[in-house]
Amino acid sequence: MINAFLVFNGQGQPRLTKFYTQLDTSIQQRLISEIYTLVSNRPAGSCNFLPLPPLLAASGTSQSASQPHNDVPSLVTYRCYATLSFIIISTSTESPLALIDLIQVYVEALDRLFENVCELDLIFNFETLHATLGEMIVGGVVIDTNTDRIVQGVRAQGAVAKRPVNEGRGAGLGSGLGMGGNFVWHGR
Amino acid sequence: MFEKSLYDLIRGLRNHKGNEKEYIQNCLKECRSEIRNQDMDVKATALLKLIYLEMLGHDMSWASFHVLEVMSSAKYHQKRVGYLGAVQSFRPDTEVLMLATNLLKKDLSATAPTIISLPIGALPHIITPSLALSVLADLLPRLSHSHPSIRKKTIVTLYRLALVYPETLRAAWPKIKERLMDKNEDPSVTAAIINVVCELGWRRPSDFLPLAPRLFELLVEGNNNWMAIKLIKLFATLTPLEPRLVRKLLPPLTDLIRTTPAMSLLYECINGIIQGGILGDGEDFSAREEIASLCVSKLRGMISVGGDPNLKYVALLAFNKIVVTHPFLVAQQEDVILECIDSEDITIRIKALDLVQGMVSSENLLSIVSRLMRQLKASSSALEQQSDHRKSDPETDSSDETSAAAGRKERSKDKPPPLPEDYTVDVIGRILHMCSHDNYASLLDFDWYLDVLTQLVRIAPAPRTRDLDTENSTQAKYLVADISERVGNEIRNVAVKVEAVRPAALQAAELIITRLFRVTSESATSHPAISGALKPIAYIAGEYAFQLSSPDDTLNHLLHLLPRIQNPEILATCLQTVIKLFAFVAGDDRAPWTAERKSSMSLLMARVVHVLEPLALHPYLEVQERAVEFIELLKLTAEAASGQTPTTDDIHQDPPLLLTQAIPSMFNGWQLKSVSYGAQKNVPMPEGLDLDEPIHPNLGSLLSQADSLMLPIQEDDEFDAYYNNKPPATSISSEPAILRLADTPEEVSGSYQQAGEESYLDPDIVARRKAERMERNRDDPFYILESGRSGGTSTPIHNILQRENGPDLDIDAIPIMKLDLADVDTNGGSSSKQQPTSRPKPRQKVVVAADESLGGSGLSTPRYESENNSDNLAKSRAKKLKQSLLQVDSSHLNTLDLDASSNSHLGAAYDPEKQQQDEAEMAQAMKEVQRLRLEMQRAKERIHVAQGVPAEGIVVKRKKPKKPAKVEGDEVGEAAGGEAVTKVKKKKKAVVPEGGEAPAEGEGAVKAKKKKVKKMAEIVDS
Repeated sequence: MINAFLVFNGQGQPRLTKFYTQLDTSIQQRLISEIYTLVSNRPAGSCNFLPLPPLLAASGTSQSASQPHNDVPSLVTYRCYATLSFIIISTSTESPLALIDLIQVYVEALDRLFENVCELDLIFNFETLHATLGEMIVGGVVIDTNTDRIVQGVRAQGAVAKRPVNEGRGAGLGSGLGMGGNFVWHGR
Repeated sequence: MFEKSLYDLIRGLRNHKGNEKEYIQNCLKECRSEIRNQDMDVKATALLKLIYLEMLGHDMSWASFHVLEVMSSAKYHQKRVGYLGAVQSFRPDTEVLMLATNLLKKDLSATAPTIISLPIGALPHIITPSLALSVLADLLPRLSHSHPSIRKKTIVTLYRLALVYPETLRAAWPKIKERLMDKNEDPSVTAAIINVVCELGWRRPSDFLPLAPRLFELLVEGNNNWMAIKLIKLFATLTPLEPRLVRKLLPPLTDLIRTTPAMSLLYECINGIIQGGILGDGEDFSAREEIASLCVSKLRGMISVGGDPNLKYVALLAFNKIVVTHPFLVAQQEDVILECIDSEDITIRIKALDLVQGMVSSENLLSIVSRLMRQLKASSSALEQQSDHRKSDPETDSSDETSAAAGRKERSKDKPPPLPEDYTVDVIGRILHMCSHDNYASLLDFDWYLDVLTQLVRIAPAPRTRDLDTENSTQAKYLVADISERVGNEIRNVAVKVEAVRPAALQAAELIITRLFRVTSESATSHPAISGALKPIAYIAGEYAFQLSSPDDTLNHLLHLLPRIQNPEILATCLQTVIKLFAFVAGDDRAPWTAERKSSMSLLMARVVHVLEPLALHPYLEVQERAVEFIELLKLTAEAASGQTPTTDDIHQDPPLLLTQAIPSMFNGWQLKSVSYGAQKNVPMPEGLDLDEPIHPNLGSLLSQADSLMLPIQEDDEFDAYYNNKPPATSISSEPAILRLADTPEEVSGSYQQAGEESYLDPDIVARRKAERMERNRDDPFYILESGRSGGTSTPIHNILQRENGPDLDIDAIPIMKLDLADVDTNGGSSSKQQPTSRPKPRQKVVVAADESLGGSGLSTPRYESENNSDNLAKSRAKKLKQSLLQVDSSHLNTLDLDASSNSHLGAAYDPEKQQQDEAEMAQAMKEVQRLRLEMQRAKERIHVAQGVPAEGIVVKRKKPKKPAKVEGDEVGEAAGGEAVTKVKKKKKAVVPEGGEAPAEGEGAVKAKKKKVKKMAEIVDS
């Protein structure tokens, strides 16, 4: 199952935090900063999987591959779009490559909702971020991966606010970078 | 005055770059008052702002009651904010949760699908066993809701309910199964069910075997790749139980592998085949061989150079699983896997290392470790450069963040980026593990190993002294601080276990001590970073002092280091070493007692005493005791020495016996051997030993006497006589310096240098290495010596043979002793003495002593400390941590029997009627609580108005571990079996001691209930 879904920007400021277990705010923040450190130190062309951050590795099973326990979060998948990094922490029951796709689905859905989404949209509409995620993942289990249905589900909850007019446009998340790029797994 | 909207807050944040903290504190203050506003709109907006700030790390648990208020709003957009607040901020210890039960039940039965989704989506985040019990009845009907999105969300939520309250499944599973079997069900709902079943499946595969036909159908017909991935994962857990499935699965799987365009599905097919045990065993061998080679070749394709890094990673992941069952298949891929160790990507490296660790043999150990050492060396020199660089231009650190970011950019341009510290620690640990594995079975060249270890001591990250208070951080600290000590321990182990290389180990120890000495004396500032390796190193330096090339220097260096050591344990060991070294240096009874010697001895003693004296007041008892003992002993000896007139031409005088006999005899005795881990537990308790017995019946009065008594302190004669009359203990040391290695520091043009070693060893280690080889090969006619040195004449044939045979040494030929206690007396001592230590010979046949152990008792299996000790520690720690962060424990499900048809525990079955009864009771209790709470809330508010609200921030204390909600949960967990009727009463009882903690404000005997309510109100306000 999925243990957490995080979004933060290039400076490590969280844009969305969703933990599927209850965790103290301070620990959440430490985890985010540890993962941010890992993400920001990745050389170009690395894979989309992170080593376990110290917080998780300390209590986890990093060295003993002998008895993998399926309840323990053991996989940190990330994917960067323009200025944002999307992180999924999951157990071994999830398929690693499918998780990369899942992030793609999420970004595509956001792109549909905001029309050429950028970081500013996400900053000012973090409620919509949560709503979109809620249409994809409930309690750590994926419930839908179809962009149409996800978008429809979010729209059913009310109009999605438009971007504030007087705020400058940042680089587009979707069309600008990554989306439909060279490593889509066609998992869908 | 107008309230800020979330939009204003975010804009404000963006406009206050630099002093966000102050701005946020102001906003929090505003939110605190706004959220008390009666206007629901204001309240909801304030809550939304708080949620946003919570994301940035500002606690909002104090607002949980207001979250509840907003949740109960009639307007959807406000309700949604409330539920979001609950999801984001409620913690296991949030008490108001039990007040939410009714609200949740109400919203679950709403008509609008959007409203129903809210509690369904929120429940997984806040669920407790008692909550699960009460909402289950309302949640179950939602399984047949007309809206598919509600259905699938409900299924997932039921799964999360089952994790904390397994009985859920008993009621819900038949309905979920019905949904799964229904071919007209919406495909997305089916996919969600499969996801849930996949999560459940690995815990209780046998329960899902009956579903196999339907699952198979979905796999073949469904054209949903996401679902296919999960189905394959599910089948992988089912096939071990039902081998017949394999035959059925193979055709569609091979078909998928050959045709699917989706890489993720292809990978999962392969993975499923591996995990499901479809590879290899059983009849129909040819077909399986075909598929095995198909899989492995696909994986190899993924891993090979130039490919996609993600594929590389997942292929390694798959190999890591195969290696457990089919090691030979992985061993064939050794070449590509080894390539991955050098990958730029740390994630891939770690996975490759996991694999490699299991593949180590005597053939490839050297090359693997060399690769790793090269990485470590490059990274550590990169780090040094970086720190130099940073020192050199101070303009960059205008502010921490910008300089860090700048550093990061610079680094990415540089070729080898420094490795993260925990990775370095991990790699060092693995190197040690690989080399010491199975009592050094794969290790042929111990000299090389010692050089590697010496290098590692330098590379190992210095222990950081971080003072973070949580368990996890101390664990991390432990690991970091420990690694250099572990390297040191390895040097010690080699020195103790492998007698042939002991001199080389001692040299390495000297080198390390000398280097530490230099480092500390160079930097004028007090340099507290004394390597943890010093402790074991100092131990062997003291224990085998006679093999040191220059004990005087080592003693000097240690005396210099002593005052700088901070860690008391290292200090205690070093103290012991100092006195051992002193005994060795001073204890030569053959050298004449000249005036010169007399003065140098008294100077040396004065110096030692001078260094030890401050330690006599050390707070750590062990250090204090040793220091005091040694100071007194040395003072005594000094007096004896000054009393002894030196030898002149006429009269021969012996050196003082205290110096030559008494002190050395304290440290010469049985040689210590390595004892296997845990063996000490097997030593039987001597009969008649009563540890509870007081040492002296009248200790108290003795002590008080001692206070008043003035002991006569003089009479060295008496002490002298005492020591002189005592026969000296068996002595194996005090051998003069012939044993010392002839150290030839000249540069030798070594043509036989193993290629590439320079790349990871420091030049001085390499130089030493060369010199050593030079020495060793002196008698070997196959090596041409430098002209200046006399060529060896004797050519012992065995040398030649050994040299020839060297690399192909049969490892089985190394005798590994297994010692029983019975043998220890006869065997243990003598084996070491039979062979007098002499100049090191060419050492190819190396005897590695096994750990000694007590056989038979079976209390603990003998283990090698070097490989297992730390692991065990880590494991036990991990166990103590109970479970990982973020982990959702599903172990409860193990105990549940899902098979509805054979419902043997009818007594424990789900009983809706009983539950309704419970609920009614619960609801009544809730109402009562709510009423009282409101009362208290009002009272509190009055107090607040009087006192004023605390100005800044939120001071939320971590709450005490025991909480009413929790207690309630436990109670219900127990009571769930049947007599849940008493639950409410029990709960109240359990709460009483809790309530007692709340400060009683004068009213002495209030009802327990009231106290509890008070506490509740307190929490709401704090």
